Amino acid sequence: MGAVLVLTPVIIGSWPAIAAAVAGAASAMGLIVGESVKEIVKESQSTTEQSVELELSDSEVLTESMSTDQEVVLTKGTIELRVKRDERGRCSVCAKGTGHSELELKQMAEEFTQKLTQCFVYDKVMRELKNKDFQVVNEEVAEDESIRIHVRRWMD
Amino acid sequence: MAQHDVEITISKTGEVKVHIKGAKGQSCLVYSKWLSQLIGKVKDQQLTSEHYEPDVRARIDLKQNLGIDE
Repeated sequence: MGAVLVLTPVIIGSWPAIAAAVAGAASAMGLIVGESVKEIVKESQSTTEQSVELELSDSEVLTESMSTDQEVVLTKGTIELRVKRDERGRCSVCAKGTGHSELELKQMAEEFTQKLTQCFVYDKVMRELKNKDFQVVNEEVAEDESIRIHVRRWMD
Repeated sequence: MAQHDVEITISKTGEVKVHIKGAKGQSCLVYSKWLSQLIGKVKDQQLTSEHYEPDVRARIDLKQNLGIDE
């Protein structure tokens, strides 16, 4: 009883906060963090290499604690994901790899952005709930990969 | 003492569903506002019967406690 809300998350955070969620999402998906923070290096791309870039539309990477052209590089097999702050200040994910179709790379990038969003929201919500003295009654990951958190507080 | 329960489900895609229980009257709206400020845009909101029960004092205390402006 009370109210039921459905919310579409907006990712606004400093680069360290987003990088922490990137690490969580990478771990959940079996991606290896190549280098935690790396300067962008222009690389020559082979003709067989596909590349797909996705932008998290409802996101804003705050520039505090961040130098220009920083990014996180993740790998899984022959696929490489690069997470960075784009020129519009949004978080973007670029997937590339040899021997993979554009569709495969797009699916990988989409799956990663969804997991990143889930991790970012989880971190932010849990931090704030603890700040407001909520007690965690139960916390579980369901079969559908959703995270369920039940918290409680007492009011005079 | 009133018990307030909040059940939060973060889906695989990142969408968040929140069920606020035990907060009577306008108190549940205080929680709604706080959570939308914290998480993002409200896509859907349904008020349940508890919302229509009076609880004015608790609402004022809760707003101060959560640090929500008018």
